[in-house]
Amino acid sequence: MLNSTQLWAIVNGTIVTLEIAIVAIIFGAIFGIIVALGRISKNKIANGLSWFYIWFFRGTPLLLQLFMIFYAVPIIYLNATGKTFQIDPMICAFITFSLNSTAYLAEIIRSAIESIDHGQMEAAKALGMNYHQAMMKIIIPQTFKRLVAPIGNELIMLLKDTSLVSTIALFDLLRTVKTMASATGNWIYYVYAAVVYLFLTTILQVLFDKLEMKFGIYEKR
Amino acid sequence: MTLENSETNKSDIMVRVVNIKKKFGDLEVLKGINFQVTRGEVICIIGPSGSGKSTMLRCLNQLERITDGEIYVEEELMDKRKNDKTITHIDNDRLQSLRCDLGMVFQNFNLFPHLTVLENVTIAPRIVKKADISEINQRGLELLDMIGLKEKADEFPVRLSGGQQQRVAIARALAMDPKIMLFDEPTSALDPELVGEVLETMKNLANDGMTMIIVTHEIGFAREVADRVIFMDDGFICESGTPEEVILNPREERTQSFLNKIL
Ligand SMILES: Nc1ncnc2c1ncn2[C@@H]1O[C@H](COP(=O)(O)OP(=O)(O)OP(=O)(O)O)[C@@H](O)[C@H]1O
Ligand SMILES: [Mg+2]
Repeated sequence: MLNSTQLWAIVNGTIVTLEIAIVAIIFGAIFGIIVALGRISKNKIANGLSWFYIWFFRGTPLLLQLFMIFYAVPIIYLNATGKTFQIDPMICAFITFSLNSTAYLAEIIRSAIESIDHGQMEAAKALGMNYHQAMMKIIIPQTFKRLVAPIGNELIMLLKDTSLVSTIALFDLLRTVKTMASATGNWIYYVYAAVVYLFLTTILQVLFDKLEMKFGIYEKR
Repeated sequence: MTLENSETNKSDIMVRVVNIKKKFGDLEVLKGINFQVTRGEVICIIGPSGSGKSTMLRCLNQLERITDGEIYVEEELMDKRKNDKTITHIDNDRLQSLRCDLGMVFQNFNLFPHLTVLENVTIAPRIVKKADISEINQRGLELLDMIGLKEKADEFPVRLSGGQQQRVAIARALAMDPKIMLFDEPTSALDPELVGEVLETMKNLANDGMTMIIVTHEIGFAREVADRVIFMDDGFICESGTPEEVILNPREERTQSFLNKIL
């Protein structure tokens, strides 16, 4: 069984995992809206930039992005300024996972916006609203229900992908139990980790199902 | 005296379009349309599918941009274009106030499903006109009362019948105090038994003196309510006149054959 040191290590690992996933989903959603609006905008620059952003962050491995920020950025900084600079691994994880989930969420949000009937924008304009007002009050609120399930999905993916941070000297849940397993030669620690992951993903599933119902209340006949 | 007369006449012209054309790429949908609407007039536009009726209404409130011609609202120049180039630039504020002058009712209602019936009616005054909230709600309830749906104020649109939804859409447009109401086949998406209630609401509006341009296939309604009927075909106004002239005694062969088909 677990002794209290091990228990606390697992709790701390779980917290690291959760923190990264939650920070990433929040920033990802906020910046994702901006990148998505860029993608549907007729402005060529905004459109091109957001296309490039999504292309890069979806087209390269998350692990590579993590390394680039953790290892490459300090070297670039050193070469440019002659000063050394150590990036905090937790901050690095927050940044990388947020940048990465922004790209995925931007695509999710874009397709949700495009799935709203064109007549909604026309009705809003015919009533004298400008593009910004129509987006904020009419179009985007209608995407919420359609966003809940894919965002829940993305959060669950993030939760599992956080195990990549063990490569930048962070002790997330998986790394914590791996260390214990190799120190003691006992595989049971992996089962504990599986239980924690399943517990978290189940809670998220239930939570997001509830949210979907709440946002979809106006569709009930 | 004559001068004064012409002055009043002039201010009574609500909409005037001069030789408007609309192309989608190579497809010319409106091929040079002229007409004007005076205050309180009810105009019904009839014509075969694809003749450009919807496109014309959409050009009036700038959901589509004309490629040629001039549009005046209350004799104020709103858009003047030639070969798809703007001759006079309308700025966004003016475009917005123009759209507030022209209320639009769509075939598919296009109510906002995430807002209650009352919120549907009040949202545009709230965020566009930014007037006093309690006044706006008051006026919203009055409008709902007028269309007989006050008790549905807190329902979501999905719970309403098609006819009720379209009446709410009319109230929603009226909430912006438009000077002219545009209707694009307001009853075409409705089950037959629900058509009457919407036409009734529109009749009341006409009797109250609202200026209305109505694209419709309801010939009976056009006969009863219209001051003038316009028959459109292939991007042109083919025939225009009183309901008696156009519907009962059409001069043009194309009008006759269209009416024969749908009556
Ligand atoms: N956005 C668009 N792009 C390209 N073509 C269009 C567009 N909108 C309309 N059209 C074309 O313009 C023509 C006229 O369409 P419009 O909708 O104005 O006809 P209508 O008289 O309203 O017909 P209906 O009675 O079927 O509603 C049609 O051939 C249609 O395909
Ligand atoms: Mg049409």
